[in-house]
Amino acid sequence: MSNIAAPNVPPAVPQGPRPRYKRRLSNYLLDKKLQLRYVLVVTILSGIIAGSLGYLIYQQRHTGSESIEKDLVELAAKFHDRQTDDLRENIPAQMAAEDRNDVFTMIGVGCGLVVILTGYLLIMTHKVAGPLFKISMYFDRMADGRVGVVTALRKGDMLQEFYQSFRDMHEAVRARFVDDNAAIEKALAALRESRNQGDYRGEAHGKLDEELDVLEKHVAQRSKQLA
Amino acid sequence: MADQAPKPSAAPDRSYKRSWKNLLINKRYQLRFTLFMVGIAMLLMTGLGYRVMTKAIEATTVSKTHVLGEVCPTISLLTEDVPPPVVPMKLDEPAPDPAAPAKAADAPKPDAKPDAKADAKPDDKPDDKDPPRHVKVQLDESSLTLTPTVPVWTPPLATTFVDEIAAHWKCQISQEHQLYMLDLGRLRILLVLIGSGLLLVFGLAIYGIKMTHKVAGPLFKVGLYFTKMQHGKLDKVYNLRKGDQLVDFYEHFKTAHAGVVQLEKDDIVRLKAVIAAAEAAGQGEHAAVSELRDMLARKEKALE
Repeated sequence: MSNIAAPNVPPAVPQGPRPRYKRRLSNYLLDKKLQLRYVLVVTILSGIIAGSLGYLIYQQRHTGSESIEKDLVELAAKFHDRQTDDLRENIPAQMAAEDRNDVFTMIGVGCGLVVILTGYLLIMTHKVAGPLFKISMYFDRMADGRVGVVTALRKGDMLQEFYQSFRDMHEAVRARFVDDNAAIEKALAALRESRNQGDYRGEAHGKLDEELDVLEKHVAQRSKQLA
Repeated sequence: MADQAPKPSAAPDRSYKRSWKNLLINKRYQLRFTLFMVGIAMLLMTGLGYRVMTKAIEATTVSKTHVLGEVCPTISLLTEDVPPPVVPMKLDEPAPDPAAPAKAADAPKPDAKPDAKADAKPDDKPDDKDPPRHVKVQLDESSLTLTPTVPVWTPPLATTFVDEIAAHWKCQISQEHQLYMLDLGRLRILLVLIGSGLLLVFGLAIYGIKMTHKVAGPLFKVGLYFTKMQHGKLDKVYNLRKGDQLVDFYEHFKTAHAGVVQLEKDDIVRLKAVIAAAEAAGQGEHAAVSELRDMLARKEKALE
């Protein structure tokens, strides 16, 4: 009779509902190097395009204003009446104010664009960094010899295929260890059963018992790691 | 046969280099990020480029108006009135003594009311700017023929005429040139915008794919190791290529792989010890020990 309780092999299905982690603003920047690189490239590029084209717009507008101003000065030199003088004084000021407004509008739109782009890109890259972060956590557990159950990704995450391949690998490794553990347990039980059937030599028998005990502890510990 | 014999194998070269052929490893991830980048650039270039062109057309129109507003010097010979041909006029009736009516006209009538003309002072001279009030004529007394007095027209000096023509056409050509240059400037802006836009799109597409490849590459490599691990193969994990991203992630993977390898090694140690003890105890031929031996062999092979 075997007096050793069979170690519990954990099932491959999680025991209870796991807490659902939601995205939070504080942890959007998971992989700074990966995320900031892409965010900076796109934002700086957009800034350069918007800046240079914005300058071109301002330049063209200013050229038109200058030309009109020059015409007004010439007109005022020819006709010395009050109406022309008023035009010469008011129109350039009005055009300069419009030019300034245009510049401020463009700066405002550019800043808005940068802010919106940065936010959107952070979210977009987070959908890549998130799964990688999660897999890294499982990697750390595997490094400690813990091969537990892997949960699914959140909805909207990218790299679903990659994560699925990780999950398949993890399940396969886990299943193999579970099977091995079960086989070792079975072998342990069989060897303990057959202890009276062999050619007994006291020292060797004691050594086998000792090794079987160690193996039993090893199997129990492995079962914990697979939980 | 000897020729086909394999050459002595050198150490396997694990330093894979990037190749254009396999830049798109993870199409969904790479194209999504690259197309987003290209899309943003295109959107900005199109929107702002359209605005630039609108302003450029406005500026060109204003500048053209300014250029056309400058009047070129005229050629006096072509623009002044040509003197009419001299047509002598013969009077039908003999005129009275020219001195008498002149005197009568000069002498004011006693009962005549003062009018506007009479108010005019005798020294009033017509303004230079006003057209002449009377036609001046010459009277040939011998034949009683009136001939309109024609201002003596002297042809312009040749040099002045040439200078005027030169100045006029120089101005005209200069204006045409300025208008052409303004159109050319606008066209140049358009071409620069289109060129830089296309360059940006193609450049960004290539850069985006290369940049994302540095992420997709390590993921692809890790994916290959996943497949191996799934099939129970736990061979050596090699380093990433130079310039690859996800270095930290890959380090995590290496420790995980090492962890699994360690689990297998622990099993191997335990199994070896039990098998040896069982053999020493005379249980070497037991079915359970044979199973353990098979398991041991499989685990050892996995680590090769």
